[in-house]
Amino acid sequence: MTLQLKNQCPGNYQNELAKAVNRVDFFRIFHSMALRAGFEHFCLMRLFADVPAPTLSTQLELHDLPAGLAEAYDGRYAFSESGLFKMLQETTLPTYWIDADGTQDELMRQMGFELALCIPVQGLNGSRHAIIFLGDRDVPNMELLHAIYYDAAYAFDFYFREILANKKGMGLTPRELEILKWISHGKTAGEIALIVSVSEHTVNSHTATILKKLDVVNRTQMVAKAIREQIIP
Amino acid sequence: MATVVNIMLIDDDPAEELIFRAQMKKVVNYDINMLYAACIDEAVAMFGKGAAVDIVLLDNRLGPGEDFRESVPRLRQSGYIGPIGVISSSLTDPYFQSFAEYGADFRIDKAEFDPTAISFLIQEYAPR
Repeated sequence: MTLQLKNQCPGNYQNELAKAVNRVDFFRIFHSMALRAGFEHFCLMRLFADVPAPTLSTQLELHDLPAGLAEAYDGRYAFSESGLFKMLQETTLPTYWIDADGTQDELMRQMGFELALCIPVQGLNGSRHAIIFLGDRDVPNMELLHAIYYDAAYAFDFYFREILANKKGMGLTPRELEILKWISHGKTAGEIALIVSVSEHTVNSHTATILKKLDVVNRTQMVAKAIREQIIP
Repeated sequence: MATVVNIMLIDDDPAEELIFRAQMKKVVNYDINMLYAACIDEAVAMFGKGAAVDIVLLDNRLGPGEDFRESVPRLRQSGYIGPIGVISSSLTDPYFQSFAEYGADFRIDKAEFDPTAISFLIQEYAPR
């Protein structure tokens, strides 16, 4: 149950989270969460994926930063050298970074924000992520901080289960079966989009989900396994 | 030089065209070329003339008794396979939950439509 606060309440997102089905829905929720709490932006990032020198742009999973900002940052600075990144290696505690008392991280200064609120979170499979809210507001009071931490962690859990979770072994939906059938007929994504009356983007998204569910790595292996397991004739 | 992105707005209210056009002008890093159609027939005619469109933003209610469940399939039947987003002043009706079944890619509340959201939608659906 989400905390109920007056005034600066970041809101109860339970209904919206229960309805969220794609990245745009989650973008809307996290973006709204940031704005309602007086921040300007949010970043949801993966932590410590198997990348030798993680950059900001490669770690970002979902965000509302201006286009090109992360890439511009990476062009000038090393994300792995930032205090925030180092802190995330040392603790799973939520933290905030401010300008006023010298605790501002280089990352914040370099990106042009005065306050960052960092909330480490964890997926069901143990994978580590962090949600960071960025803006120029004052440090929220403790009541609001608790509410933001709670809502962000709650939203991430939905996001993980709906978008990030490995769906290996889960059954295919009728739409996924239809797309799998047309792939096995040698149709391209664009052709399938025309046949099924969806966008090419949706076809590619379904294809990625089928790959996950069948635990295969490409379309050829996907069709071979589907035939072998009699999912398609 | 900013990337050019072609976004088509389909909305029967000309005032919305002004509002959306103003929002799109605020988007940085992209040069948005906004095309406008007041109804599905007009949009389909524009596609028929070869209009290049990266993203369609479709008002849920274009006429009495008509919503995206009729209009999105009509756009798809015209051969458009790019992303379609349904926009509405309220997303609370239960039928919005099945937007994907009708061929739409996303839904967004008009009140949520700001330059940040536009920028995200471009990165998500029309990356260069």
